[in-house]
Amino acid sequence: MKDSGETSRIEIVDLTHTYVRGRSQVAAFKKLSLSIQQGEFVSIVGPSGCGKTTLLFSIAGFIQPTSGRILVDGELISGPGPNRGVVFQSFALFNWLTVRQNVEFGLQMAGVPPKGRRPRSDELLGMVGLTRFADRYPYELSGGMKQRTAISRALATNPDILLMDEPFAALDTQSREILQEELVRIWDLTRKTVVFVTHSIDEAIYLSTRVVVFTARPGKIKYVTSINLPAPRYDPHVRTSPEFVTIKDSVLDLVREETIKQFAEEALT
Amino acid sequence: MSRVSRAFLSTASIFVVLAIWLLITSQAWVDQKILVSPLTLLKQFISLSIDGYSGTPLYVHALASLLRTTIGFVCGATFAIPVGLAMGYSPALYAVLSPFLAILRPIPVIAFIPLAILWFGIGEFSKILLISVTSFLYMTVNTAAGVKAIPEDVLRAARSLGATPTQLFLHVILPESLPYIFVGIRVGAAVSWAVVVAAELIAAQQGLGYLIMDASTFFRIPVVYVGIALIGVIGFAIDRLISSAEKRLVHWSAR
Repeated sequence: MKDSGETSRIEIVDLTHTYVRGRSQVAAFKKLSLSIQQGEFVSIVGPSGCGKTTLLFSIAGFIQPTSGRILVDGELISGPGPNRGVVFQSFALFNWLTVRQNVEFGLQMAGVPPKGRRPRSDELLGMVGLTRFADRYPYELSGGMKQRTAISRALATNPDILLMDEPFAALDTQSREILQEELVRIWDLTRKTVVFVTHSIDEAIYLSTRVVVFTARPGKIKYVTSINLPAPRYDPHVRTSPEFVTIKDSVLDLVREETIKQFAEEALT
Repeated sequence: MSRVSRAFLSTASIFVVLAIWLLITSQAWVDQKILVSPLTLLKQFISLSIDGYSGTPLYVHALASLLRTTIGFVCGATFAIPVGLAMGYSPALYAVLSPFLAILRPIPVIAFIPLAILWFGIGEFSKILLISVTSFLYMTVNTAAGVKAIPEDVLRAARSLGATPTQLFLHVILPESLPYIFVGIRVGAAVSWAVVVAAELIAAQQGLGYLIMDASTFFRIPVVYVGIALIGVIGFAIDRLISSAEKRLVHWSAR
């Protein structure tokens, strides 16, 4: 089935995930289906607790869905694997390793000898502008540099897919915008298939080729929109263009509607 | 507050307390039998260093205690770290073992002395066993806590980067729990050293615990003071030593 051209890179079919909270069963999402094609940059937005992260972690293989299936390149996923790189909101760096050792971790696990890892880490650190910080430890870095390290680490084993869970949520506004612009560049250079979970509609529209809006819990897909602005968007001023603002307005209304529903549901339970 | 000014305050406070102590005793506000003057102590320390105690040089007493502590502590750590790691890794094992550890921990070592003598006699083994069991009890909890404190995302990151279960253990769980293991080592070393006095109540012929017991039997109070002070000072030195090793080996923690 691989590379047959007929299957999508990621195929989510009738995915349901329920978990126990107190005495009741809560459905994070129900009967959710979504296909993501090779090279797409898909963002998932929606109210807090709508199951965005649960879905992303299901694709990563960290969470076993209650029912339904996820196929990656036509194969059912059974756990995490180096064909899907993951970037976390919490950075999740290895604090006892230097920046370079963090980046080389995946290669080291795969048994690549130190000499073989070096060119790859050099290349990635160069790409994110961390060459001078290669021998520093994560605690010596700013939040933005930590997340650059984590992105390089996720890319080191050359995965086909990059899964990003609110990667810039813990950063200040300035660093966040710069990292968004860097991600545009990285995506253009590597052409990975990206699934990106975020609270920020602005961020979703700026980065993505497609934005998926989730409903309140249990999460369903409310709306999918392709972003008809030429991508990759190197010019950050696109954010203030009339076309951008029009898209943003429509998505904003949808998310607001769902957030209000979510509040109402949480007030009842 | 800077490091230098903190060090200065600590040193100054020691000298102030010594000065007050000297004043109280030199003015004879308190009976010499109750509170010995620091000068008497110093004289006693010097004479003990030169002549030894009950035919054994003072440093041999100190070394005897240190040797017992070290052997007991190393044995304790050898078992505590693997058991603690396994307990942190497996919630089932934690549930099985933790009640025993929690019940045993608050019991003072002195309470076990009669049993230790009954089971293992009055030889070195009993003393070292008491030390290693006590340090084991403290180090397992800290090690297990270290494993349990590893953020889920860090483990997930490693697994998504292709780490096998063995690699996960060696390359992530072990280094990630090292700061907690070090806390355990510090606490374990401190309790081992504190327990040595109790352990030496079991028919020891050498050691600082023996020195204190023997001197108090014969009412040589200044000797008792010297023994107590030495235990304090050596315990402090051990803690500083481990703490400086900790700063170098787990430099990433607490930042």
